[in-house]
Amino acid sequence: MLEETLTDQEAYFLERVDRGDRIEADDWMPEDYRQQLVRLIAMHAVSEIMGALPEKEWVPRAPTLYRKLAITAKVQDEVGHGQLLIRVAEDLMRPWGKNREDIMDDLFTGRLKYHNVFHMATPTWADAGVIGWLVDGAAVITQGMSLSCSYAPYARALQRIVEEEGFHIQHGESICMALAEGTPMQRAMLQDALNRWWPALLMFFGPPEKNQLSTHQLRNIRYRIRSKTNEELRQRFFSKYVHRIWSLGLTIPDPTLYQDPVTKEWTYAQPDWEEFRQIVNNRGPRSEARLGLRSTTYQEGEWVRRTIALSPTAG
Amino acid sequence: MDERLDFDVYEVFAQSDSLSPHVHVFNVLASSPDMAMALAEENFFRRAEFVSLWVVRRDQIHQIGFHDREGFQKTPKAYRTTDDYKYLRDKWRYYRDHPMNPDGSPAAGGTVDGTMDD
Repeated sequence: MLEETLTDQEAYFLERVDRGDRIEADDWMPEDYRQQLVRLIAMHAVSEIMGALPEKEWVPRAPTLYRKLAITAKVQDEVGHGQLLIRVAEDLMRPWGKNREDIMDDLFTGRLKYHNVFHMATPTWADAGVIGWLVDGAAVITQGMSLSCSYAPYARALQRIVEEEGFHIQHGESICMALAEGTPMQRAMLQDALNRWWPALLMFFGPPEKNQLSTHQLRNIRYRIRSKTNEELRQRFFSKYVHRIWSLGLTIPDPTLYQDPVTKEWTYAQPDWEEFRQIVNNRGPRSEARLGLRSTTYQEGEWVRRTIALSPTAG
Repeated sequence: MDERLDFDVYEVFAQSDSLSPHVHVFNVLASSPDMAMALAEENFFRRAEFVSLWVVRRDQIHQIGFHDREGFQKTPKAYRTTDDYKYLRDKWRYYRDHPMNPDGSPAAGGTVDGTMDD
């Protein structure tokens, strides 16, 4: 939307956004705003749903009954977050005559991407710990920013989500702490998991902008859908977690990682951004397997959804 | 694609204890009120407790929203609130220490602070 060619309605909308008004689903909004929101929220929704799968693999193999209960609760939370977000996206898609079936179709056909981290393998129990501690830690940095989003229903959903993520992070910290204080073999398992996840964690925030914001980012910042750049969020992640990782005697697999004592800025080795593009385009290590599982489950549940929809109390 | 599932949106309200009002929680997509209540419990009360839970089909809710409020700022209403009566605290404190005489005349040597101007 070019600011010099605004209609009165558009100008008034931007004025509301500028003064910090929160927009509700039934308020007038530019089509462009609606599209940016659907793009962001549908992606977030399917990431929560796909995000349940890497850890779900550890539900039957959790080392104790307590850990099994806790990781089951966590997996259930992730699916619940998906439910909340799909509702928010659906209300936005209503004027287009679309609903959650379209979101799932877009996921299965690859039109809708999900976060890079959920395409990765989780071969050990330490991976489950690292996901909780650092992947959810990274997610909360992004979602914490989005709490100030100008779209009220998304901000309200995030309030509930971020509250539960607090539990997820400590659940992950607890697993990692136990391994860090454990046998040499357990420590080695944790170090291996960190080595595996480090590049994916850096990729999670998206490519650095290098003073060149994409059109989508510029729009989202203009609409107050987001307020920080990928690089700002990644820097915040370093500041929050690098010292904690070091405090457990772990090695971060990047010998160039360094914080400038004056500017506080972190320099680091860039992950392979071409690999990132491959991963988010469903060519990651576990993309096919997890999408296959999700798609099969969706098809197998079809008769249940249909039966419920046709039950006498429906409508 | 032609045959779509026809579910309804239900808004969810919950009361956390008997002295609190029912508060809007979020919404769910469900095929019936029973299903909506089951989903609401699963989605929003995995940890928190409630004493009462309502689900209301969204098209049954009548609302005054932003469009109705737009342009209508409430006029100042200090006369409806305690805002204009703040001076009373000082008066009460003064008369506690300097009681009026039975004929209403001030106690010897005292003046009252915070007198209203009108």
